[in-house]
Amino acid sequence: MRFREETIRVGDVDVHTWVGGQGTPLLVLHGAGGNRGATRWMEQVAERCTVWAPTHPGFGRSGDAEWMDGIDDLARFHLWFIEAAKLGRPHVLGHSIGGWTAAEMAAMSPGALARLILVAPAGLKPESGEILDIFFHSPAELRALTVHDPATVPEWEALFGKAPTPAELEIAERNREMTARLTWKPYMHNPRLARFLPRVSNPALVVWGREDRIVPVECGELYRRALPNATLSVLEKCGHLPPVEQPDAFARLVLEFLGATK
Amino acid sequence: MKLYYFSEMPHHEYPDAEGDKYPSLRLAFPNRFFDREKAAANYQRYLTEYELADEVGFDGLMINEHHSTPSCVNVGANMTAAVLARTTKRAKLLILGNILPIEDNPVRMAEQIAMADLISGGRVLSGFVRGVGVETWWANTNPIHNRERFEECHDLILKCWTDPGPFRWEGKHYHFRHVNPWCLPLQKPHPPIWVPGTASPETAVWAGRLGYTYVPFLVPFAVARELFDFYRRGAAEAGREVTPDKLGFLICAVTADTKAKALEAGRHFVWRMGPTLRAPVDWFQPVGMRSKAARQFALKARPRTLSQMSYEELVAEHFIVAGTPEEVAETFALVHKEIGVGHLLLEAQESKMDHPTTMRSIELMGAKVIPAIAKL
Repeated sequence: MRFREETIRVGDVDVHTWVGGQGTPLLVLHGAGGNRGATRWMEQVAERCTVWAPTHPGFGRSGDAEWMDGIDDLARFHLWFIEAAKLGRPHVLGHSIGGWTAAEMAAMSPGALARLILVAPAGLKPESGEILDIFFHSPAELRALTVHDPATVPEWEALFGKAPTPAELEIAERNREMTARLTWKPYMHNPRLARFLPRVSNPALVVWGREDRIVPVECGELYRRALPNATLSVLEKCGHLPPVEQPDAFARLVLEFLGATK
Repeated sequence: MKLYYFSEMPHHEYPDAEGDKYPSLRLAFPNRFFDREKAAANYQRYLTEYELADEVGFDGLMINEHHSTPSCVNVGANMTAAVLARTTKRAKLLILGNILPIEDNPVRMAEQIAMADLISGGRVLSGFVRGVGVETWWANTNPIHNRERFEECHDLILKCWTDPGPFRWEGKHYHFRHVNPWCLPLQKPHPPIWVPGTASPETAVWAGRLGYTYVPFLVPFAVARELFDFYRRGAAEAGREVTPDKLGFLICAVTADTKAKALEAGRHFVWRMGPTLRAPVDWFQPVGMRSKAARQFALKARPRTLSQMSYEELVAEHFIVAGTPEEVAETFALVHKEIGVGHLLLEAQESKMDHPTTMRSIELMGAKVIPAIAKL
C-alpha cells in the first residue's frame, strides 16, 4: 500500500500528513516520539481503512502552534483537522499523547468520532504507579525504557538502527519541545479527564503493553473502567510501543475491532 | 574596580563517596545527608564571614540562591539580604539573584526586595536571573516558558516599583487584578538591576538594551569579551553608553599569608567546579530552556567544561585565583586589563575551606587587595 504526503491547512497551520489505503477513514494520532509515517502495522491496516496520519503542530514538518498550552488545545485542533480534511466521522487511533488527545476529542465531541482506539494513552493519573518523567531522561535512556526488548522489534533497524542526521536531531528536539509545551504540568495527565470519559459512549478499544515502563498498564484498567463501552487488550512481552513492538498482532487487533477483517 | 565577597553557603558535610553514588548532587542526592546541626552552625559561620567582609571594606556582598543541592543551601536570597541588611553597615547587598522564571508571585518578590532595601538603608543591588535548569525542575515550571516568564516577571516587578498603584496586570503568565504594594524601595526609582550570564546571547543583548549591569560567571576572558559585545549591541540599539560600571565578572578567589597556604585553600574550589556541576545534561538544561543560538554559543564557549579541568588548569586560566595578597591583586589587575570590568565578584568560600582560613582571606583582601585595586 503506497502512502502519499499531503499538506493540509488547518487554521493557520500547515499540517504535514501521511495518507494511504482504502475504506473507512481512520485518523491516526502519533505519540511524543513524532510521526513515524507508514510503518508495518499501518500498511496492514491501510488494506481495509484509509489512514490519515497528521503530524501534530509543532512536531516534525508541521507548522508551529506556540499558542497551544495543553493536550486539550491539540484535541480541539484535530477536531478542526477532521473538518478540514473532510473525513466525515472517522475512527480515531491515538498512541501515548496521541491517545490522550483522542480521549479529549471524544470527551469534547463524541458525535464527531466513530470508534476509538487508545494505545497506551497518557492522560489519567495512575493510582499506584507514576508516569515516567520522560524529560528527565536522555533520549538514549528513554529509548531503552520505551520498548520491552529491542531484539523482538521487527523494524528496529529501519526505525532506530542508524545515527540520526542533524536534520533528524533538529526535529527530535522540536518534538520534545512541543511535547513539553503540551504536557509539563500537571505532568502527562488532565485531572478532569476521568470526569469526562463516562459521557463517551463510543465503542472503544484500549491497547497496552504489559511491560510498559512509560505509562503503567494500570492506566489501561482506569480507561476501561471510565469509558462505558470499552474493552482492554493487554499484549504480553510488550512495552510502550505496541504498534512498533508487535506490529502484526497490533494490526490484527485494530482490524478486528473496526470490523474490517477480510 | 569594586570588589564583592560571595559565599554560596555550601553544605559539603557528607562523605564524598556517598555523593558519587548518584547521577548528580543536585535533585537526586537524598536529603538524608543534610546535617541539620552542621547547617545551623554553618549559617552562623557564613553570616559572620559576610559581616567581616563588610567591616574590612568590600564594596558589596553578593548573595545567591539555589535549591535541592548541597552546593548552595542559601534557599532564599531575599531572606539572607534581610538578615545582612541589619547586621552589616556599609557594603552593597548584591542579590544575584532572584530567579524570576520560577516565581509565581512577582508582586511579593517586588515587596520583599523593597523591604530589604528599606531595612538596609538603600543598599540593595537587585539581580535577576533565569536560573539553572535544576531550579526549573525544583519549581516544576515549564522550561519552554523560561525566557517569557523571566521578562514578564521583570516587567511586573519594575511596574510595582515605578508605577503608582493600584493597577491591574493581565499578562501571559501573570495575572493580578489589584496590585498596590505597600512597600516600595528606598532607592528611587528602584535599586540598580544586575543580570548574570554564562551563555545566552539574548540575555546579554536584553541587559544592554535596558542598561543593566551585566556579569558573566566563570567564563574564559575571550567568552566574556564576546558576551560584552552582545551587551554593547543591545546598548547601542537603545542609544546607551557602556561604562565599566555596567560590566562585572565572577571568579573564585582566596588569599593567605603564604602562597602555599593560599594554593592549599584554593583547591577546595575544585569541588564547586566538578562534583557539584555533574549531572545529566537535561537537568541543567531542560528541554526548551535555551534557544538554539544559546545552545550553539554554549558549545563554542565551553569546548571543555570546568569539571574536565585540573586544579592547576583552573588556576592557570584564572577561574580560580589563589595566592598572596600581592599576587591576587596582580591577577585582579590583569582581569581588569583584559576585560575592562568595573566590578569583580569573588566566590570566596567553600565549606571545606575552614572558618579561620576564610576569615584570614577576607582580612587580607580588606587590608591589602582592596586598596591595591581601588584605583583601577
